[in-house]
Amino acid sequence: MTSATAVHGELHAGPKPPPHGWRRLLAPGWLRVPWVTALFFGIGLGITVLVRWAEGWHPIWDGQVITTVELTAAPLGFLVGIGGFDYWARYAIGSPTRPEDHSGHGAHSWRDYFRVNTDHKVIGIQYLVTTIFFFVAAGLTAMIMRAELARPGMQYVGNQVFNELFSVHAALMIFLFIIPAFAGLGNYVIPLMIGAPDMAFPRLNALSFWLLPIAGLIMLSSFIVPGFGCGWTGYAPLCSTHQELGAVFFNMGVQWAGASSIMTALNFLVTIITMRAPGMTFWRMPLLVWANFTTSLLVVIATPFIAGSQFMSMFDHILHTDFFNYEAGGYVLGYQHIFWFYSHPAVYIMMLPGFGIASEVISTFARKPIFGYRLMALSLMAILVLGFSVWAHHMFVSGMAPWLRVPMMVTSVVIAVPTGIKVFSWLATLWEGKLNFSTPMLFALGFVSMFVIGGLSGIYLAAVPIDIHVSDTYFVVAHIHYVLFGGSLFTIFAGIYYWFPKMTGRMYDERLGKLHFWLTFIGFNATFFPMHYLGIQGMPRRVSDYAPRFADLNFFISIASFFLGASTLVFLYNMIVSWTRGAPAPANPWRAHTLEWQVSSPPPVFNFDEIPQVVGGPYEYGVPGARHAVFNGDRVVEEEEVKV
Amino acid sequence: MRRGVLARLVAVGLAAAAVTTAVALFVPWLPTPASKQADRIDFVFWFVTGISIAIFALVAAVILYSVVRFRARPDDDSDGAPIHGNTTLEIVWTAVPAVLVTAVAVVSAVALAQNGHVPKKHMRVNVLAQQFAWSFSYPKYQGLTVSQLRMPIGEAVQLKMHSKDVIHSFWVPEFGQKQDLVPGIETNVVITPKRLGTYPIVCTELCGEGHALMRSEAVVMKPAAFAAWVKEQETLAAKAAQGPAGGGPGLAAFNNNGCSACHTYKPAGSTGTTGPDLDNLPADARRAGKPLVAFVHESIVDPNAYIEKGYQPNIMPSTFKSLPKAQLDALVKFLIQGQK
Repeated sequence: MTSATAVHGELHAGPKPPPHGWRRLLAPGWLRVPWVTALFFGIGLGITVLVRWAEGWHPIWDGQVITTVELTAAPLGFLVGIGGFDYWARYAIGSPTRPEDHSGHGAHSWRDYFRVNTDHKVIGIQYLVTTIFFFVAAGLTAMIMRAELARPGMQYVGNQVFNELFSVHAALMIFLFIIPAFAGLGNYVIPLMIGAPDMAFPRLNALSFWLLPIAGLIMLSSFIVPGFGCGWTGYAPLCSTHQELGAVFFNMGVQWAGASSIMTALNFLVTIITMRAPGMTFWRMPLLVWANFTTSLLVVIATPFIAGSQFMSMFDHILHTDFFNYEAGGYVLGYQHIFWFYSHPAVYIMMLPGFGIASEVISTFARKPIFGYRLMALSLMAILVLGFSVWAHHMFVSGMAPWLRVPMMVTSVVIAVPTGIKVFSWLATLWEGKLNFSTPMLFALGFVSMFVIGGLSGIYLAAVPIDIHVSDTYFVVAHIHYVLFGGSLFTIFAGIYYWFPKMTGRMYDERLGKLHFWLTFIGFNATFFPMHYLGIQGMPRRVSDYAPRFADLNFFISIASFFLGASTLVFLYNMIVSWTRGAPAPANPWRAHTLEWQVSSPPPVFNFDEIPQVVGGPYEYGVPGARHAVFNGDRVVEEEEVKV
Repeated sequence: MRRGVLARLVAVGLAAAAVTTAVALFVPWLPTPASKQADRIDFVFWFVTGISIAIFALVAAVILYSVVRFRARPDDDSDGAPIHGNTTLEIVWTAVPAVLVTAVAVVSAVALAQNGHVPKKHMRVNVLAQQFAWSFSYPKYQGLTVSQLRMPIGEAVQLKMHSKDVIHSFWVPEFGQKQDLVPGIETNVVITPKRLGTYPIVCTELCGEGHALMRSEAVVMKPAAFAAWVKEQETLAAKAAQGPAGGGPGLAAFNNNGCSACHTYKPAGSTGTTGPDLDNLPADARRAGKPLVAFVHESIVDPNAYIEKGYQPNIMPSTFKSLPKAQLDALVKFLIQGQK
């Protein structure tokens, strides 16, 4: 491959000399964070108290109101302190800006990962490490829940704490792990895959990352407040008027995470539409790019709805509005309609990028073109459109207008058709391939098989009479874990292992990777499959205590879940040790055709030293002489060369 | 595809189908149905299960066959066959699932319509849910209110449901039917019991701290036994009205606020078990170290002040502190006068 190690800082204006003495307190970074955060905290506090004093509202010093305001003010201070707005602020006040200053770009030491960095590759890794932190945190809450559920009756935690555990578990897993983990993988890979030097808006990209730790910490601290015990769905009126302040922490945590999602999605859309390399037509884009494109459309259209629902719920709580207060004419079911209008598309936000990853991995490790490439892309678009027409299938027993049930059932089962197309096409891609069972492939095949089970239980849930029986039971718990764990998480693991060499420049330990897969696969099925049975038999979800007849199976599930939890340690150990001490990775260890593998591992700061010219499809395995891209005409990537 | 390949693929598929069918048949997946509606739900369940087994077996067969047959040798760096697609195949696997899911939708819609049908001859029961208790009242029997749902076998029962505070959900696994109770709107559901027995009622919508404990029972009785039970309850209620506790406004407050859903109290004829038995209030007051009247008053307006052994805090709602004073006093009086 080309020798691609040039540091771009030398080509452009060099970094400014570092500030000295007290001026370091003014420079963006961790020294500026504490005092600016404190300053914004003070401003928020001052405004609140001043307004209450001026209006004569008692008590003037109201902890609830102050805390709610601070959930906006203090994080803003943090963002200003760390430097998220510096460039725009300079631009706005007319100070000189240095567009060619790339000192905020790329990472030379680990410290560069802890500041506002505009390099999509650094941001991608920031995303992944942060989301894995919250994945572990959310996993630990699940372990505590399973400990409590191992025996009927109450042993370790109280009812309220238990309710908070599963609420925070889901909120973190969804908003701080699965959605942003896909955004992180996409951040790293998408610009490389389309032959772009970076994302379209690098500073916006950096800002969207720094919103995430804020959202995560807010959701975690709901335990301290306490009171977020109304489930990640936050149904009104339980969440809007029958909870302590913790519910507001959830409302605001969703706002920060949602803002992050929307910004990233806009960035993906503009990048994919405007920054493709010459020759990269839509029909030559890798399927992960297609998947991120459709996902980003979903995010941009749907996320404002959950933002709205959470604001309304919070206003009912704090400002005594009556959106969902039936006694004052509010409409309780309105919350569910608005919430699910986001949250059903959200399940595709959490699944389509996984479809993309599975397509990349299966094609590469089966050494075959993706079967039915165009139909694969079109079925993504079909899911996008249909995804907006099925939200009320979460509400079959909610007491909504009865006539709405059959149409929503029809659209829900129809989604099985494009989803089925994808599954069958992956199977056909395996057929007559040369299957290599590296860790990413194991996770991709694990995903296909588990997702089929999750998809079939989805048909049960779409059929209204069955749904009426199993709605809000452990059957639903089993179903969502088959699609989100067996589906999304397996593809995230596949993606992390697949691009690990590209991201870190080192190979992971293949034996540990395979061990991780098998432990996870067995632990996952042992934990979640029996839950189908519990649910059909009569165990409701979200309960800290259950009828004694479910005791044996729950004990088994708890043991299996600890086994599953422990399997994550193998993953973490492999990642940490391989990142620091793994064997150096070649540019293209998987002999893949897509563009990210045609540059060094890790890629140069601006990705491509020469702009690639795309000349064919991304998956032309086995086609004699076929190329996805050529570099500079004469520097054609030879198969033999790549193998080195 | 060569004939040998197809034969082997079919063999693997049949084996997978056999294993899945065995799992479906030998595990008693469904609770024994105790209502006509549950029978229809079970039918849809088995219809979908049949289709699911076929699809699962197909997918499992292709994956298992491919994993074994197309595994690359460690030193094999070659590529697979450059197959880009097959229009016929793609049309087939778009059309066949479309037909199957349409069948599922039609069968489901028919079962749904039948399960929603209210027969002309039916009994109405009003259901009131609140944190964290159920109460059932029978308009047919002068508003007789109890904490257990009792119904005669074979007669359709329409439940008209209301919630006092947050969303709850009524479910009896053996009846199959489930319906949320939403503050501000009336929801309803039809159940036609067809098997004698006592079945659990559980709340399936997260409703707060005591959600896991919000349970009751549904009892399906022979018509004669049901009639006898109604008579007995009516006598009890009449006795309560003239009994030492005086009935009147106190009894009314006790019933209207759903106390009977959680507490056993003989003068009111209630048998709830979620909260402590109110027939032993003097002993409880001694343990709490408070005079009886003060103790009873405090336990209503501030339930967490003293928690009886074996019960948990925060289960009884704290909303009763906003009861009008007259009602509260009547309730306290009713509870004190009923003690031996």
